[in-house]
Amino acid sequence: MAGKGKFLFAGLLILAAVVYLMITNTGSTVHYFLTIEELRAMGNRAVGRNLTVSGAVLGDSIVYDPTIPQVTFTIVQVPADPKEVKRLGGLAAVLHAAVNNPDAPRLEVVYNDVKPDLLKHESQAIIRGRLGEDGRFYADEVLLKCPTRYQEAVPEQVEGR
Amino acid sequence: MLAEVGTLTVGLALATALYAAVAALRSLRQNDPRWAESARNGVLATAGLLGLALLILLAAFLSDHFEIRYVANYSNRVLPLYLKISALWGGPEGSLLLWSFLQALFAALTLTPFPAASGGFPLRGRGVGVRTSILSLITAFFTGVTLFLSNPFVRVASIPADGLGLNPLLRHPGMIFHPPTLFLGYVGLAVPFAYAMAALITGEVEGWTRAARRWTLAAWLFLGLGLLLGARWAYDVLGWGGYWGWDPVENAGLMPWLTATAFLHGATMQEERRGFRIWNFLLVSLSFALVLFGTFTTRSGMIQSVHAFARSNLGPYFLSAIGLTLVGSLALIFWRRRLLEEKRPPEGFFSREGLFTLTLILFLVITGSVLVGSLLPTLTEALTGHRFEATPDWFDRVTGPQFAILTLFLALCPVAGRQKLEARRVIPALVGGAVAVGLAALSGFTRPLALLGFALTGMAMGTVLTEIVRDVLACSRRERENFLAALAVLVDRNRRRYGGYVVHLGIALILVGVIGTRLYLLEQNLNLAAGEPAQVGRYTLVFEEIRQDLPLNDRLPTWAVVSVYLDGAYRVTLQPRLEWYANFDQTVAVPALWSRLREDFYVVLTGWASDGGAATFKVFINPLASFLWLGGLVFVAGGALAFWPSSASLRLTVSQARRRALWNTLGLLAGVAVLVAAGVAMWGPGHGATDSPSGRPLPGQSAPDFTLALLDGASFALSGHRGQVVVLNFWASWCPPCRAESADLQAVWEAYREKGVAFVGIAYKDEEAAVRGFLEDHGLTYPVGLDPTGRIASLYGITGVPETFILDAEGKVAHFYIGPVTADQLRAALDGLVR
Repeated sequence: MAGKGKFLFAGLLILAAVVYLMITNTGSTVHYFLTIEELRAMGNRAVGRNLTVSGAVLGDSIVYDPTIPQVTFTIVQVPADPKEVKRLGGLAAVLHAAVNNPDAPRLEVVYNDVKPDLLKHESQAIIRGRLGEDGRFYADEVLLKCPTRYQEAVPEQVEGR
Repeated sequence: MLAEVGTLTVGLALATALYAAVAALRSLRQNDPRWAESARNGVLATAGLLGLALLILLAAFLSDHFEIRYVANYSNRVLPLYLKISALWGGPEGSLLLWSFLQALFAALTLTPFPAASGGFPLRGRGVGVRTSILSLITAFFTGVTLFLSNPFVRVASIPADGLGLNPLLRHPGMIFHPPTLFLGYVGLAVPFAYAMAALITGEVEGWTRAARRWTLAAWLFLGLGLLLGARWAYDVLGWGGYWGWDPVENAGLMPWLTATAFLHGATMQEERRGFRIWNFLLVSLSFALVLFGTFTTRSGMIQSVHAFARSNLGPYFLSAIGLTLVGSLALIFWRRRLLEEKRPPEGFFSREGLFTLTLILFLVITGSVLVGSLLPTLTEALTGHRFEATPDWFDRVTGPQFAILTLFLALCPVAGRQKLEARRVIPALVGGAVAVGLAALSGFTRPLALLGFALTGMAMGTVLTEIVRDVLACSRRERENFLAALAVLVDRNRRRYGGYVVHLGIALILVGVIGTRLYLLEQNLNLAAGEPAQVGRYTLVFEEIRQDLPLNDRLPTWAVVSVYLDGAYRVTLQPRLEWYANFDQTVAVPALWSRLREDFYVVLTGWASDGGAATFKVFINPLASFLWLGGLVFVAGGALAFWPSSASLRLTVSQARRRALWNTLGLLAGVAVLVAAGVAMWGPGHGATDSPSGRPLPGQSAPDFTLALLDGASFALSGHRGQVVVLNFWASWCPPCRAESADLQAVWEAYREKGVAFVGIAYKDEEAAVRGFLEDHGLTYPVGLDPTGRIASLYGITGVPETFILDAEGKVAHFYIGPVTADQLRAALDGLVR
């Protein structure tokens, strides 16, 4: 049975190597997923870390300068927990409530890239990037979905890295 | 009416599927062939009813039955026919109905006396009953979910006058093929699962892999093709210059493909060596569980993905099904463990068997890595309360090294002997690797990581090509045939082996594309004024103009005309588009692509100034991207070759042979059709690339010489004006912008003629009388000549009038202007040139 043990050992070795790969890559390429509220609660500790923040897009706040190109916009707090979203009547209702709530925490986002097609009022934005010293969020990637009309959104996720 | 009939048909299909499952079990219990016959009829009826339901839904789409919510949500009156057909699976409800139908169809196919389907497996016996029962239950599950939770035939309360139309991003020919192809793959993997479970239940654990392997091969091929088509769709439509983003839904398709690949290898080993029994049962069960996981990902809304259907009520049902599949199959494997034990001690690592085992382990670990990455937010939230998510970079870095080792195995496995790997058989791989590194370095790919990757793919290709050539040479010597005939004989005798080699070749080519596009992607944002050349790598872009069409059905297309020069020579004109869909208030960017083997030049129009004088672009240079699609076609061809039933070692009666010939012909036609369709969907009828006869001389290049007869009887030869700054103005008397700029040209000419600047107006394809009248009306006195055939205009590659070129004293182009030029622009340019 030594023969079988050999393959078990090899398998475990491969597995260990892969787990090692996963963990060492976690620091640089895995993002901490936060709501705006949680981001605010972290205060200055959040500055400079790899973060993913989600929120509802405020349509009036979108400013686009195609010559740089740069788009800035504001997102509003929405809960991240699917169960909570469901309890509040689904994603569309949650997004709608968020943009009409003046007291909800907000975050200004700077994205130095072309304005994504789906960036519009009440769409859900999932943003990867870092919080700047100035309190604005500098995005590397903007993922969007518009749940109001079309359940079936498409992979916008890698748009403009 | 249609709605009710549709719902009723799906309901009946559910009933017949459940009946077939019960009848198949009874046939086992009572050992009565009449029950087996009845079960078979039930399966056929289910397939027929679900097919009918699909046709009813299609009829509803074609005749605009907007009282059905699904039709109203995914179609409208002006949608073209092919999109109405693809709208059938454009949403979650319709796609689930298609899924159910395909599942029923496959269940029915396993009961036909079709050698390709049954793999020569008997159509009677205990195994058939169990298999039929399991497949019918799976069909019933999907049909039930369709009927009760996701019915496409639900009515709307108030009937809209028109539907919403199909999501603009789904309006692509690839979308007609991509979902059904993927579904065929998913659905097909249920069949080997049923074979495996039947084998475990009946205890006949040895022979099942032959039939299961054929089914897996077909499913795996469709799944692979579906993934490729999806990648191509993303590349063509989404405009981010990429084709794979490690999105959970993409991963959901990749994972069962990986485990199915592993099973194909495991099954080969089981047939060769009677080992790998536990492996194969595990891999088949895992593949099917991952298929269910894929539907769960897409439809439950519980996994964060941007192209998941946002639904949440299906989740628990699919989770239960996954749990049942895993627990059930593991329990059966445990129960039969004595039958599955290996009697023989395993060989060493570098034997064929050892390398195969390591390959299977690696496939499992890669699948596990992708699964961990997809589930990371869910997992970390459950464990730590915080969500962490894996970026595409994470996937690249975690799976990259694993795929590299897998590629190494690709080079070693085919030449490994029973007991050990002989050093001399690795030589072709080493030569292949060296050649690949040399070629890559010569082509300018010199980063160490890329060279390592190319070396590995080169090794894999070296092994495969050498094996094929060696076999052909040996066979040709033995049979005294020419090489082609020898190849045909070999392939016909051992399709699995040579099909496998071709697949390996295709995978290696795809990997070449992956390395090029992942490591050497160049991306740049450009903001260009009309006529202003911009440099991107070795390319020069000249943005010519913005054009807009009249609104077309429900969309308004706008496109930019961009000419592309490589190393200063005109090559192609690209037309990237932006299409605005009023119904959706959504703009879709349609990229334009100039594709060569070396690299793709990919341009996306991202916006334009309202006067059309400037536009912004995103430009990608994707090195070796063509290898992805080329490798994809080779992969599909190899898979088809392996699937094709071999005619060797079969003794057939005349009628069997005749039927076989008929099926083979039909199969061949279908195969060719699929390949052609896939090819068209991948390369498509052009991607916004059009040709102009020629391009402009770019700034810094010599202006082409010409001689022009002037209206005053003199002659203007460009070569006679060397040493002088020359302004060439292409214009026409009928063109309003030319009228606008004429006064400026005249004024500048009057100011600069003393400084030795030569002006000449070239009237493009114009009438002499009209030109003379125009000059008189506008008081123009600088020299003008006619270019009635457009000969000079084509030398200068102009695309419209007016265009103006300023040549320096050496006869080289200093500036050009597309569209009307102003006096200020001319003065600024001339002041820089005139001393």
